[in-house]
Amino acid sequence: MAACLGDGDHTTVTRGWYLALLALFGLLALVFYYPLALVLSMAFKGPNGWSFSAIESVITDPYYVHLILFTVKQAAYSTLLSLGIGLVGAYILARYNFPGKRTIRSLTVIPFVLPAIVVALGFILFFGNSGYLNRTLMSLFGLPHPPFRILYSLVGIVLAHAFYNAPIVMRVVGASWEGLDPSIDEAAQSLGVGRWRRFIGITLPRLMPAILSSSALVFVFTFLSFPIVLTLGGARYATIEVGIYTLVRTLLDYNHGAALILVEIVISLSFTYLYLRTEGRMAIVTQGSRRMPQRALFALPVDAGKVLIALYALLMGVFFLGPIVSIIIDSLHSAQSWGIANYAQLVSQRYSPFLGTSPLATVRTSLIIGSLATLASLLVGMTIAFFVVRAKIIGRWAIEAALMAPLAVSSVAIGFALLRGLSGPPLRLGGTLVAIIIAHAVLIYPFVVRVLRPILEGLDVQLVEAARSLGSSRLHAFLDIELPLLRRGLLVAAVFAFALSMGEMSATIILIRPGLSTIPIAVYGLLSARQFGAASAMAVVLIAVTAIAFISIDRLGGRRLNA
Amino acid sequence: MKRAIWLMLVLLICVSPFLAAREKIVVYTYDSFVSWGPAAALKEAFFKKYDCDVEYVTAGGGKATLSRLIAERNVGETNADLFMAELNDVPRIAKYDLFLPVTSDDIPNLASVPANLLATGLSGFVPYEYGYITLTYDAQAFVTQSPPATLEDLADPAYAGELICEDPRTSSTGFSFLLWTIAHFGEDKYLDFWRSIHNSLLTITQGWSEAWSLLTHNEAPLMVSFSTDTAYAAMSGDPLRYRAYAPGGEGYRTVYGIGVVKGTHNAKLAKEFIDLLLSKQIQELIPKTEVMFPVNTNATLPQAFKRYAIVPQTVLSIPLDVVGKKMAQWLHAWETVIIQP
Repeated sequence: MAACLGDGDHTTVTRGWYLALLALFGLLALVFYYPLALVLSMAFKGPNGWSFSAIESVITDPYYVHLILFTVKQAAYSTLLSLGIGLVGAYILARYNFPGKRTIRSLTVIPFVLPAIVVALGFILFFGNSGYLNRTLMSLFGLPHPPFRILYSLVGIVLAHAFYNAPIVMRVVGASWEGLDPSIDEAAQSLGVGRWRRFIGITLPRLMPAILSSSALVFVFTFLSFPIVLTLGGARYATIEVGIYTLVRTLLDYNHGAALILVEIVISLSFTYLYLRTEGRMAIVTQGSRRMPQRALFALPVDAGKVLIALYALLMGVFFLGPIVSIIIDSLHSAQSWGIANYAQLVSQRYSPFLGTSPLATVRTSLIIGSLATLASLLVGMTIAFFVVRAKIIGRWAIEAALMAPLAVSSVAIGFALLRGLSGPPLRLGGTLVAIIIAHAVLIYPFVVRVLRPILEGLDVQLVEAARSLGSSRLHAFLDIELPLLRRGLLVAAVFAFALSMGEMSATIILIRPGLSTIPIAVYGLLSARQFGAASAMAVVLIAVTAIAFISIDRLGGRRLNA
Repeated sequence: MKRAIWLMLVLLICVSPFLAAREKIVVYTYDSFVSWGPAAALKEAFFKKYDCDVEYVTAGGGKATLSRLIAERNVGETNADLFMAELNDVPRIAKYDLFLPVTSDDIPNLASVPANLLATGLSGFVPYEYGYITLTYDAQAFVTQSPPATLEDLADPAYAGELICEDPRTSSTGFSFLLWTIAHFGEDKYLDFWRSIHNSLLTITQGWSEAWSLLTHNEAPLMVSFSTDTAYAAMSGDPLRYRAYAPGGEGYRTVYGIGVVKGTHNAKLAKEFIDLLLSKQIQELIPKTEVMFPVNTNATLPQAFKRYAIVPQTVLSIPLDVVGKKMAQWLHAWETVIIQP
């Protein structure tokens, strides 16, 4: 770490910076650029050497074209639904005051905590043809058939994606909305401009950067989504990710798999670029000193708006809590009786054949991977964040883009790249624990950079300079001043990194070899064999382990996190 | 102090002891062989006889496990000694030359297997059970209405969202069903059939176990399965709720076999494992646990199995060399149709 800080003035380029950059690129070359290049080069190969046939068939063959179009379509629908749900929530957060508001806002980090495979499980248990929702409605109204047959289709996928991503919209747009200066709005009101016209003409344009930025983020997330589509879509509703998975894991058709990865990267890069641009622009929007006036939600008079909000809250309560509560209920229910039998069986060897290892070993593996991947991604992420914020260097923008490249590559693609790139020389790691840790670290460090960057930008450089002028060495200045100031950011980053690693399934399932299993892989294994009770128990274990990690890091930091 | 304790805890969890290794053979198989089949009894019998442990590894269905094996072999890192698969996957295996040849000198019990079953066209691949792919329905869901009488009837809107089948790219059962539709409708018509049943499908699962669990969790009342499903219910003394039947009197032949993986350090033990699998003792477990027909002619069948296991009047099958030549083309045509009705 010290190397990246260099000697002398930290705002100019020093030998230290170059060394740090060189080391970083060397590392990334080994674990990211080289493996990815190796895989992408396969896209240009056919049975008889170099050829464009794989790429040509991926962009002309009806199967692949449909796969690509369906991926864009489901991502667009998912983004729209997430926006719809999220914007209403953002409005309520911005304009109303109510007890528990802070808690609700904290709960919007759920997407980072709940692994997609757990969400998929919750959806099957709650929205399935014989899920809790349908069974309840059938017994309430004496229906002969389940009223909602939505799960194994586009609708099911879009709903699950909205569950995941609406909170992101709510959070990002809500924060922006709350900070809007009400002066212009009030001026327009005094001139007699109607409520809707004020919203369309004044509020909406000022919210646009936040809306665009969160939409682009949600689009990229749902475009690259894998476990949810794999579990709910079956063979008929497959996306590019599922296509790549089937090609490289089952059909062993690496050339078409690589060509599909290439197409996917091009599309997701375009949207990542859009996201980063709108995010940059959003920072320019000036916020007034005054904040939007907020009304008390639980006070008289009760108007139509409040009734609608109550309805919204009820629907959202069912939508968001239903799947999670279903998992917990199911985990406590087995063979017509209640109890902890499902958990007891996790300790026994009964499920070992499905997992290739014992469930307890699975938990241990996940913890090892999670801790080491967190550590590695923090080191790399912090170095990059320092570079991005502090170094003045020609072409910094390009270097930054190159360093953040994993953000635009899907997890399945990274898993596949590492499977190929790490199996041969120079590193012979195959599907070992080390390979999985590397994959997680590569996937996670861009998120660490994103958490640390704004904090570093807000850090007062003069403090460090003052310390230096008083004779403190650069290393001491870092250890004594910057690190303590960064502590909260590092803790938040560590929590996210750990949670992301614990929930990672896409790259892991490509890489992992028999005899090794992580908690999400185990949930998927049990889910595939439809051992719902055991899968639920395993999912609850995953949620619990992640929650304990949150609390532990919170304790270690000695202060409450307000991510 | 507190920090130190937290850190110690993390370290403790990470550095837990590893078990000492003992002699074992590794069998790559499919999930239902482990969850339903004679896997446990076989393991126990093998341990008793040869003092050697058996480790089963599955990656889901037979095809998923096969892909894993081939991928591992390609990078030279597999620890599989034995591999089990469905016969129609053989064309894929043949290309990779995965198996050691075996003779009846290595495996005396081969003498009890009929020659027509052994003629798989691939040396080293030994059949240990066979059966027929048919349809299975939930009798509780078909009270007033009857299940589709023929494959053609599956397209009837009355069965909207009621059929579960398996992905032929990932499931051996699913692949057999695809081959059945090709044998039944012909190469130029089978895609029309798949288009016609789009609305009848609930979902296409990755493997048979997933589909069976959806059926038994009431997600849908009809699935592509084995002709022996009724016999299974009868043998377990259950009410005959899930019943197999051959639509139009038809079914598709399915054969499961096992081979010794080239490069194994345990070739002798592996061959002894196959011999044990073909023995009368284990073969008599095949109908009870795998609910398939045993290949050993000396094995006696349970009464309920004899009574309820269906042998379709017309058993379809496509020659393996044709499957080998056309496989990739058929699968790609299928996946193209299935995602865009």
